[in-house]
Amino acid sequence: MVLAVLQGASELFPVSSLGHTVLIPAMLRWNFDRSDPTFLAYVVALHLGTAIALVVFYRSDWGRIVRALTASVVRGNLSSDVDERIGWLLVVGTVPVAIVGVFLEKPVRQFFGSSAIVAGFLILNAFVMFAGEALRRRSLAAGTGTAVTPLGQLSWGDGGRIGFAQAAALFPGISRSGTSIVAGLLLRLSHEDAARYSFLLATPVIVAASVLEIPKLLEPDAHAVLMQAIVGGVLAAITAYASVTFLTRWFHSHDLRPFGWYCLIVGIIALGLALAKVIT
Amino acid sequence: MKPLPIALAVICFVIAALYLAGVLQIGASHGGRHISHAALFGALGVLALVWGRFASAPATRRP
Repeated sequence: MVLAVLQGASELFPVSSLGHTVLIPAMLRWNFDRSDPTFLAYVVALHLGTAIALVVFYRSDWGRIVRALTASVVRGNLSSDVDERIGWLLVVGTVPVAIVGVFLEKPVRQFFGSSAIVAGFLILNAFVMFAGEALRRRSLAAGTGTAVTPLGQLSWGDGGRIGFAQAAALFPGISRSGTSIVAGLLLRLSHEDAARYSFLLATPVIVAASVLEIPKLLEPDAHAVLMQAIVGGVLAAITAYASVTFLTRWFHSHDLRPFGWYCLIVGIIALGLALAKVIT
Repeated sequence: MKPLPIALAVICFVIAALYLAGVLQIGASHGGRHISHAALFGALGVLALVWGRFASAPATRRP
């Protein structure tokens, strides 16, 4: 249940869910086999819950976007419709992370799975957020980026760049929403639009990854944990929905720095524990 | 529809089928069928067809 709440919250907060699912079990000395079919089935249910929460939260956006994209394909051209442009931006942003994720996810995660490395990446994640905020403030102060670009006016190249920034989250400890929000801020989106684009961009990736893993839930070994998986999925969905509600309100008037401080402090503590061989 | 997007779509669908059948193992971490790889190339094939649809449609005037 703790893992479900942790997954639902940390998947959307810019603090790296993957990093937390490595560090927290190590700190609490949970011993589970990550390749065990029952554990994999449970994790799939948690991701599915998070994906459902995102789709439900942005249901009206997705409804408009899907209708606009369908109309665009049927017509065979692009119009000036904002939802249609956001929809194609999401497609452009999803392709790079899908290609990188499918081919590099497992090798990267196997290579960078130790607590010390994850803690190091969590500290790096903090500095990425601090640097993103500092560069944005400097740009605004210098007058070179005074005009905030509305999401609907983002260029195709910039949409792809933000999507590509998500791929950094393959490294456990680097946050997908953190890197994509920072990329959005550097491309002159407002905090609110950068976060909205980041969450919309995360939805197809999380949904696709969850749906493709559903067969693991149906394997005979997974039947033993089916009820726990359902409860865990529901808990993850509720936590994820609460998280995205909180974060969309947070970015109306706040920035990424508190999350940067959190990652820095947790990363330093975890690195200290790993170097002292208290956690592995 | 223009030939390049169609050719690209066919190539993507063939690669997707080969991954799904477990014939293609490039970039895979284990043997057997690779549903994620197949889904990726299937989606890229669909996007190539959409590109073809856009490329073949008559250009519209902006207001």
